[in-house]
Amino acid sequence: MKKKIGIYGFTGCSGDQLTIIHSEDKLISFFDRIEIVSFSMAKSDNEEGELDIAFIEGSITTEEQKKRIIEIRKRTGIMVGIGSCACFGGIQSMKLGEGGYRKRFEEVYGKTKITIDTAFESLPINEFVKVDYCIPGCPISAKQFFSCLTKLINDFRPVLYPFSVCTECKWRENLCLLTDKNLPCLGPVTRAGCGAVCPEHGIPCVGCWGPVDEANVGYEFKLLLKQGFSRKEIRKKFKMFGGKTAEELLRTLIAEKKKIKES
Amino acid sequence: MKKIKIDLMSRIEGHGGILVEVDKNEVKDVKVNIYEGPRLIEQLLIGKDYNECLNIVPRICAICTLSHRYAATRAIEKCLGISVKKKVSLMRELMHLGEIIESNSLHVFILSLPDFFGYPSITEMLQEHEDIIMPGLKVKEFANFVMRKTSARMIHGENPVVGGFGKYATDTELNEIKRRSEELIPHMINIVEFFSTVKVPTFCQEEEDATFMCLDSGKEFGFVGDKVLISTGEKRDIEEYEKLTNERVVSHSFAKRSKYRDKTFTVGALARINLMGERLTGESSKYYRKMYNSKWKRNPLYNNHAQLLEILFGIKKIASIVDKIKHLKDPEIEKPKRKTGEATGAVEAPRGILYHHFALKNGFITKADIVTPTEQNLDEMEKSLRTTTETLLKDSKKDLEPKLEMVVRAYDPCISCSAHMVKVIH
Repeated sequence: MKKKIGIYGFTGCSGDQLTIIHSEDKLISFFDRIEIVSFSMAKSDNEEGELDIAFIEGSITTEEQKKRIIEIRKRTGIMVGIGSCACFGGIQSMKLGEGGYRKRFEEVYGKTKITIDTAFESLPINEFVKVDYCIPGCPISAKQFFSCLTKLINDFRPVLYPFSVCTECKWRENLCLLTDKNLPCLGPVTRAGCGAVCPEHGIPCVGCWGPVDEANVGYEFKLLLKQGFSRKEIRKKFKMFGGKTAEELLRTLIAEKKKIKES
Repeated sequence: MKKIKIDLMSRIEGHGGILVEVDKNEVKDVKVNIYEGPRLIEQLLIGKDYNECLNIVPRICAICTLSHRYAATRAIEKCLGISVKKKVSLMRELMHLGEIIESNSLHVFILSLPDFFGYPSITEMLQEHEDIIMPGLKVKEFANFVMRKTSARMIHGENPVVGGFGKYATDTELNEIKRRSEELIPHMINIVEFFSTVKVPTFCQEEEDATFMCLDSGKEFGFVGDKVLISTGEKRDIEEYEKLTNERVVSHSFAKRSKYRDKTFTVGALARINLMGERLTGESSKYYRKMYNSKWKRNPLYNNHAQLLEILFGIKKIASIVDKIKHLKDPEIEKPKRKTGEATGAVEAPRGILYHHFALKNGFITKADIVTPTEQNLDEMEKSLRTTTETLLKDSKKDLEPKLEMVVRAYDPCISCSAHMVKVIH
């Protein structure tokens, strides 16, 4: 029995869906095992019925989107978030926890009432539905996606790299941009999967694969403070792609420091 | 009152719908509804340093990622007093051509082509038209290769920075780019010849020429400039972008709308060919002279033909750029002369003029304004839908929906971009 697949987009840049479309030659080789019944960015004859796997790109920022993701969850066996917007909230969630969303909305759209839908601050999809797996990346790596797809259609669990970008960077025998070039690289606190492609080009990692498990955020702070960045600037960098997860990690870190100070 | 409604259009980038209200065969209202979730990106830019700005703006859209990066770079370098060496300009031209070819081929072969033959997607078309689709996909693959080798990734590559590039493509990689480009030229010529025989529907054809705008690329056809050409005969500076676009908010859209002198206008490939087609060279010029006619000024479906001519031009241009780059030394990244300034930068994104305007203070962004091409086209799109509906109703046609979608698709809308062009003053 072919697995029924649906690919959906919410708030984002379409980069994860585009990565799949750009890999059409790889995708076609899956067609004897999967049937893509819904993928409205790439085709027009879409059926909205029971699914085995739903791939979701994008974060949730409107009431209609909230209804839609809940509706899709009801009719799919497995739901997989693809890309950092679905997994963490995306760049549009970098101000989470700072307040002022309504004011920012009005700065952009003025006083005209937008009636097409009601918008709110961006959140990852797992705030509204149960998500079975997340494939992060901004955008995702085609290699990682197809490796995960292969596992899923054979009823295996896809597994992400549990280590940081530093490991991939060392695999490529790069000089460390943090210690050797004094650049603000977020590699140590970012999940691997990208192949350390930016440090490979001498560009410090901006953290677009999201925070890694057990990220040593405290020590990254120490390194960047030594480079002359303020605490506010470092928090800004960490929250750029880390979304809700980064915000929660920072809150935990601040709470721990407070406890240590008070004891 | 009859409502012709498409809730969510397929085979476009982003989320939009169409609503046409008809009363006794008269079109009462046309709306392109934009549901794209707002991200308030310009608000996110305030307080970021100029390098962080370049990490954020490409994420406005995956298809035009490099155009956003390039336009922002041009604005910021003006603010900071940076002028770059020849190799940097050529590498930027190379990466930009890669994106134009990638986006145009994505649009023509995957999003648009099925409409001309009545198919729901290209997978169904493959059997009958393999000889056109397979080379078309090879062109897209080549363009992605160029983008990977110049910007480090296919989408959101971080290699192009303010002042230069992190790393430059090696001579081996450049030679590979040139070799692949030369292999594709005969295929592209076949595709252009095939397209010149395809019947183009006339249900969206206007009775008057549309108004077009594009960046003046100079003597040769190109996609970068600091002056705007308008089909009225005017030439304006990009710093006047606000007067050229006149943004306004409408209630049925998270994307704003634009008009020039109270008229709708179009930007994009069709605008570029209409205004500067005479500047094409080589094979692309030959086919421009063979295929071009006055209908290109009145029928948005010719956008596909314009995009194909641009692909043919771009592939040839890439080979000549490789020849020029190979002999140049890799320069260091240029440092800013100052950290405070305000300026506008613009490039032709695949879909048309993209304006980025920033004010910087001590290296941090205090003001951000981004006007994207699709937002400039949305009013014209609604006008086209009105014309299409009126024409089809006059001929008593039913099932207007697929044709309405076909018209919107012809404009190659990039809805993620259009929902994010706004003005913020801090």
